[in-house]
Amino acid sequence: MSKAKPAASRSYYQIVSEALQANIESGNLPAGTRLLVSAVADRLRVSRPPVKRALDLLAAEGLIAPLSSQGYVVGAANAQSDPVRTNLHGLLLQLPPELGSNQGQVSWERIFAAVESDILNCIPFGTFQISEAGIGDYFDVSRTVVRDVLSRLDARGLIGKDRSSHWIAGPFGARMLDNAHEVRRLLEPGALVAAQPQLETAMLIEARAAIDAVLTGNAALSSKTLEELETDLHVTALRTQRNNYLQLAVQLTQISLVINRLFDNYIGIHQSDDMLREHALVFDHLLLGDGAGAAVALGHHLDAEHVRTRARLKVLSVFDAAEIAPYLTRIH
Amino acid sequence: MSQPLKLRVIARSEVVPRAVMEQAAHDLPFEIEFELIDSVAGLQRVVTSPHTFDVYHQWHTADLIWTARAIQAIDLSRIENGQLLKQQALARRADSRAFGSVFNQLFVQPSGALGPVPTEQIVMLPLQHGVDTFAFLPSALKEWPAGTPHSWGWMLDRRLHGRVAIMSEPVLGMIEAALAVEASEGMTFADVGNLSIEEIDIVADILLRKKKLGHFKTIWSNHHEAARSMQRGTVLQSMFSPAIATLRSQGLPVVLAVPQEGYRGWHVDLCISFAAQGEQLEAAYAYLNWWMNGKGGAITTRQGYYFVSPELVRPHLSTAEWDYWYAGKPAAEILNSPAGEPSVAVGEIREGGSYLERMSRVRVWNVFMDEHTYLVRRWREFLEA
Repeated sequence: MSKAKPAASRSYYQIVSEALQANIESGNLPAGTRLLVSAVADRLRVSRPPVKRALDLLAAEGLIAPLSSQGYVVGAANAQSDPVRTNLHGLLLQLPPELGSNQGQVSWERIFAAVESDILNCIPFGTFQISEAGIGDYFDVSRTVVRDVLSRLDARGLIGKDRSSHWIAGPFGARMLDNAHEVRRLLEPGALVAAQPQLETAMLIEARAAIDAVLTGNAALSSKTLEELETDLHVTALRTQRNNYLQLAVQLTQISLVINRLFDNYIGIHQSDDMLREHALVFDHLLLGDGAGAAVALGHHLDAEHVRTRARLKVLSVFDAAEIAPYLTRIH
Repeated sequence: MSQPLKLRVIARSEVVPRAVMEQAAHDLPFEIEFELIDSVAGLQRVVTSPHTFDVYHQWHTADLIWTARAIQAIDLSRIENGQLLKQQALARRADSRAFGSVFNQLFVQPSGALGPVPTEQIVMLPLQHGVDTFAFLPSALKEWPAGTPHSWGWMLDRRLHGRVAIMSEPVLGMIEAALAVEASEGMTFADVGNLSIEEIDIVADILLRKKKLGHFKTIWSNHHEAARSMQRGTVLQSMFSPAIATLRSQGLPVVLAVPQEGYRGWHVDLCISFAAQGEQLEAAYAYLNWWMNGKGGAITTRQGYYFVSPELVRPHLSTAEWDYWYAGKPAAEILNSPAGEPSVAVGEIREGGSYLERMSRVRVWNVFMDEHTYLVRRWREFLEA
């Protein structure tokens, strides 16, 4: 089954090709400019494969023409004069935010979250083999970037290599959930205590009101609402603490959020009155400025939610994953 | 124009033999559509599409489908003899022999969770239960020392190489395989009903090696295939009791084992779809109450199943039937299978003895293990090897 590519990484070569086309049409890239893959990639600060593909596309559309030696030249094939060797860094180009925003962003970061989420969405259903070449094709990135992403996922314990050196992910079973919960139980209440002095009252009041709206039946409980409520407590509130190591460690233990989201997608909104009341209790402590009390309430919530998530994981274990990213292959 | 009322029931093929379907259709004033699904597809349907059925004969997954909100609580006051169930629940707390896991998660607690404390709402209507074991042809074991106690280890015994069959169902199959590995390898698992990842690996690795060596003649998926397997030369295998009735009525002298390690216990119960309402819900309750009159339970007694309240099926059984199936006495006359074929000869005694003797020998109940995803992954590897 195919699925839409995540927006953040949608057709990278298309973004490059559209950017080049716009600059050719506006005259920023004058006719006769020689375009080498490596030079364009360097100018746009992207890797070579999407540039190569973008240039092929533009050549097919007749906006640029291949050179007999190397690279392309701006302009139609028959209008060709001698290509001008311009230093592309000397040209003022109009670039879209997708290309502008990653100034300084390392290549692997752009696709890491997408790959991580594709994998997490599959492994509760079984074991999957990951194709390096498949990721490269899907996201238009080089092998180097793919390996970087995979080794970082490996370091997080999400994937590993089998005996024949294939990358393997899953299955995500009760043990993995238990392990994550044990660590989360140690970290997250502490992180909340550290975050409490920085929390803004307005944010707390708003988050508390959002829970009440659902509890009193004034707001319908959609999976979007549910996700927002989870984010209020487990992401937004915690983010105000200033220890980056703690921040990252807490994030790594929050994989149960994935299980609950999958349950909502495949089965339906999970039963959540208890969860809402537990969240409310944490926010009530925070509103009183009682960090220690909030930590105790959060600890109780995490334990209770763990039992519920374990039950939901059991339901998911009955299914095969309906939506599998094209670079993943189910093996068992 | 309104459609004529039709009750939609999902079940495994064993639990509603043809005679039960015919009797229910005859007794109830509406049409019943039975959909018999023997694989995990039935459970998947129930969990994802509650609007496509009204009643589900569940097996060891009530907690799971309750979590998925695929079923609704059953009002005990609307069930005939419902109070009998409550009394049993109280009585059985001190005596887990006959029911084991049936009552542990039966009642809907005020929190919405399931538990053993009796309330007015139940998650499922307990119906049938029993014990499963393996079966064998005595002629294949005639060289073995006389009086050897039956053991699950025989499933993996090298002397039976190439003549053993096992079932394809992952949950039940893995439990039986774990019992076999314990016995043949001299190990002990902490909880056969909830194996750890490492324990699943031990069992799966042994099964895989045995399969590649050619130990298993076949792998069957329902009681029809189970019967065919023994007709075609398997001498020892996992067994469902309806297949025993079939084989004996065909004259094959099959023996059900009484393993020294204990039986695998099971129960099958009725659940009402979360989506059932109005006249569909009324019909669902009528179907549940039809079962509580004992007629259906009497029919499945003839294939070896026990009914939740034995006294309710007794009036529908002959004295000879009751004495053989429940009391563990020798058959006073030829007894028939649900299909009406003779399946028990005069003088035969049921293996394992009476109701309570057999049920008290349950070692492990069918259960969805915590590491089900992992278990299924390894089991598929075994099936595909």
